[in-house]
Amino acid sequence: MKNEKLLYLFTLVFFLFVLKTSVFAQSNYVLPYPSSMPGSFSYKIHLIYESVSKYWYFGDFGQFDYNLKLADKYLVEAKILFEYKQYLLGYKALEKSNRYFVNIPLNLAKAKEDGKDISQRRKILEESAQKHIEILSELQGKLPPSFLWTPENAKSTNLNLEEMMGKSIKIRAGSL
Amino acid sequence: MRIIYVLYFFFLLIFTLFSYLFIDPNLIYLKNIYTGFAFSNRLTVSLIYFFAVLIFFCFYLFFVNRFQKKIFSKKDFIILLTITIIGLIFSYPAIVSYDIFNYIATAKVAFFYHENPYIIMPIQFIGDPLLLFTHAANKIALYAPFWIFLTSIPFFAGFGSFVLTLFSFKILNVVFYLLIILFLYKISKNIYNVAIFAFNPLVIVETIVSNHNDIVMMCFALFAMTLIQKKKYLIASLFLILSIFIKYSTIFLVPVFIYMIYNKIKQKKLNMEKIYLFSAISMGIIFALSPLREEMYSWYAIWFLTFTCLLRSKFILIITSMLSLGLLFRYMPYMYLATYSSPTPLLKIVFTIVPIAIGLFYYWYRFKKT
Repeated sequence: MKNEKLLYLFTLVFFLFVLKTSVFAQSNYVLPYPSSMPGSFSYKIHLIYESVSKYWYFGDFGQFDYNLKLADKYLVEAKILFEYKQYLLGYKALEKSNRYFVNIPLNLAKAKEDGKDISQRRKILEESAQKHIEILSELQGKLPPSFLWTPENAKSTNLNLEEMMGKSIKIRAGSL
Repeated sequence: MRIIYVLYFFFLLIFTLFSYLFIDPNLIYLKNIYTGFAFSNRLTVSLIYFFAVLIFFCFYLFFVNRFQKKIFSKKDFIILLTITIIGLIFSYPAIVSYDIFNYIATAKVAFFYHENPYIIMPIQFIGDPLLLFTHAANKIALYAPFWIFLTSIPFFAGFGSFVLTLFSFKILNVVFYLLIILFLYKISKNIYNVAIFAFNPLVIVETIVSNHNDIVMMCFALFAMTLIQKKKYLIASLFLILSIFIKYSTIFLVPVFIYMIYNKIKQKKLNMEKIYLFSAISMGIIFALSPLREEMYSWYAIWFLTFTCLLRSKFILIITSMLSLGLLFRYMPYMYLATYSSPTPLLKIVFTIVPIAIGLFYYWYRFKKT
């Protein structure tokens, strides 16, 4: 009887252990802390800073860092806006993140062409793509497939969120 | 030919040979002359270094004394300067500091890889041979943009050869060493004052051997000062800004510059002795505060030595000479112990303070008592 109890306990612990370790493989890549959000004054300053800093981040690796930094920043922004059901702003932020993300593999290709060892950055790109997909997949389950955004005194916009999520994941999956 | 020239040149040549005992084991470009002696005979090299610095200071005090008594002329000055440069220009630059490798690595990031050295670190270029021996490869550019721009000259002059690049950097420093000497002479019109700076072993070791860029920064600042005296305020300000954009420290000279310009505009007579004293104090304060940022590096002394040499004070001459001696001795604890941790920091303080205390005692004994 005592042995039987021990066996049950062992089986329980074993399954707990198995369950604990068999969750999705998660990327260790760390996304940035959320920055200012659309509508605030500092957001406008951030936008100016971003367009100016593009020239500061010259060079293949510099551009890689710039595009990755902003792809991350806008993904985090989109996530928060979607969570607060600000679908139009979230949609736009994700569009921006996509725009920056597609440049990253191009920066790497250019660096390789210039004879630079890109192995380390290739790894960073893969990790970030994995993390982005993780976030997007999580969001995909929470968002409605489409949403008609009707602001006051303005034309409504139909947001195809499902298509947007699919497209965003596809962009990132191309870098894995 | 004076025997002292021969002795001095012979000493400098030995010092140059001694410097090659410190070749980094990973410096593949000089592997044929690598001995590893300095790393396996730490006590011996520390003692040699100690006596070399002492001898260097004996020469210095002798020269300064001769120039003060006008036994040595301008011609002697030029000969001694030539001997100093020829004797040391081919020395190995990383006896006590590895900054020259950082300069080269940063220049390579900017002018070879065409990346911004303020965001991309040398370590990110996997496989680059410089990474084997560059000590701060994991840091973004530490110096201001004008310095990085200036390094393009020796970098391109090296035509891709490391050794050629290394010595091109040395030539750049020598050029500014000569320029600062010229400006000091134009300001002081006194070869004695110039000799106090030019033959100071700390200035020589940190500029011609270790190749620190402080001389470049101070050269621009001093030139700016001469321009104010000629009432060329705009161009003077430009040169001060260029100086600040080499290593930032000369930003502490801005109040002195404003004071000078204000007095010039108001047609007031400038007391230059006072100006140099203020400049020396200003740069001395930032030197004294440097441990708050990182560490009191010996080559920072060039910041105030540039001005103290222009002051007619025996006390300042004795104290700055002994401080220079102490700052060169500061390298010995690491040279012997090969560690930056305890007891090296304490020993560094002791090695710096003891010569100053001796200097103070000497001054009190020699001048106050009489």
